Amino acid sequence: MASTAQQSARTSLGVIPWATLAVSVAGLAVAAYLTYEHFTAGSTLACPDTGVVNCAKVTSSQYSKLFGIPVALLGLAFFVGMTALSVPPMWRTASPWPGRLRLAGVLTGVVFVCYLIWAELFQINAICLWCTVVHALTLVLFALVIVRLALVPPAS
Amino acid sequence: MARRVEQKAAARERIAAQLAAQQQAERRRRLLFAVGAVVLVLVIVGGLVTIRLVGGGKKTATGPSGAADSGLVTALSSIPDSTFAAVGSADVKAAPSAITAPALTAGGKPKVLYIGAEFCPYCAAERWPVTVALSRFGTFSNLGTTHSASEDVFPNTATLSFHGATYTSQYLAFTGVETTTNEMVGNGYKPLDTPTAEDQKTFDTYNKPPYVESDGSIPFIDLGGKFVNSGATYSPEVLAGKTQTQIADALKDPSSPIAKAVLSSANVYTAAICKLTNNQPAKVCSTDTVTAAAAKLGSAKG
Repeated sequence: MASTAQQSARTSLGVIPWATLAVSVAGLAVAAYLTYEHFTAGSTLACPDTGVVNCAKVTSSQYSKLFGIPVALLGLAFFVGMTALSVPPMWRTASPWPGRLRLAGVLTGVVFVCYLIWAELFQINAICLWCTVVHALTLVLFALVIVRLALVPPAS
Repeated sequence: MARRVEQKAAARERIAAQLAAQQQAERRRRLLFAVGAVVLVLVIVGGLVTIRLVGGGKKTATGPSGAADSGLVTALSSIPDSTFAAVGSADVKAAPSAITAPALTAGGKPKVLYIGAEFCPYCAAERWPVTVALSRFGTFSNLGTTHSASEDVFPNTATLSFHGATYTSQYLAFTGVETTTNEMVGNGYKPLDTPTAEDQKTFDTYNKPPYVESDGSIPFIDLGGKFVNSGATYSPEVLAGKTQTQIADALKDPSSPIAKAVLSSANVYTAAICKLTNNQPAKVCSTDTVTAAAAKLGSAKG
């Protein structure tokens, strides 16, 4: 009986954990691309460079670094962490820590995304398409993690 | 006995139902809280976008150039030798290259020709070391202040403008040409200065390989027909978010990133100019700093 229950738990992760993993991997890919572009001076950035949508203007602005660390690199680190925390064993573990770290991660991510959107809209006066994709994925991650937490509290 | 058992079973069911209802309510409360948090974030993001759309963005100055105040000009022309020496030229990323060409002169003096534009962020960066270096050999008047275009990379980089500026020196002549302002008109920028036919010919002849790396880039600087430079010798990113006064103040501190970038480049420009003036004035050209910077000048091309 216990074995059946265990097996059932193994197979019934639900949609949200898998969606979280998929979004994290997508974010990881885009963040890796932005990081590559950051360190190669954005010479191959697939994005318009005139008008409101202007990736180069955003990625070369003073807001492209935080305490000297490229924001693209911080984004990459965030998605590496979220991907690691979203693999099935991390959802199945009895330890409360993966859940806590996921929550801390998405909360930090959302605050940072709000800051970056503010910088783009009010300080740089330009939008970076790829950055916007990363922002959207972070907001989706936040929604997924927080709704999953509501549906399946760590203690249950 | 049977009745007691039934009562116990009923009580157990009631408690189980209450517990289930409590759990259901708790789950609903948690879900409501989660959805509320998501909605709150979306409202914040939507609010930022809405405020921006109704005109709450940062107003960036895009007006025409203004005049540089005397304090700024004095700050750039009174940098102590010790500060130039402290910065040196070890960190310089790019330097003018020697060329084989007829001497570029004006009024019997070697001439430094600068061709750039006020919108251009790399010109914005390069005017600082060029001005600092030239200020060691003569005096600028009517130097302007401006910033690079807000639509371009390294937006609104604070800088000087050579438009309308005059330069007097017993050692050399200087012509600064700013071909456009930083104000967009249609798909381009509003025209400003037009180079003379002779200066345009110099630009067309020497602002291309093998003299420089790329064809037609600005800023273009020809130092007496002996050295040329195209583009910036350091990244405009160093100046991001700074005003002209802040940049001038930073030049006093040899450990600041701005001083390291601007003054190391100025040292190399000074070394190139010294080659044009036969190492005059000696108090500038005979310093160890300038002698060392001369080694950074690119080897002969063309």
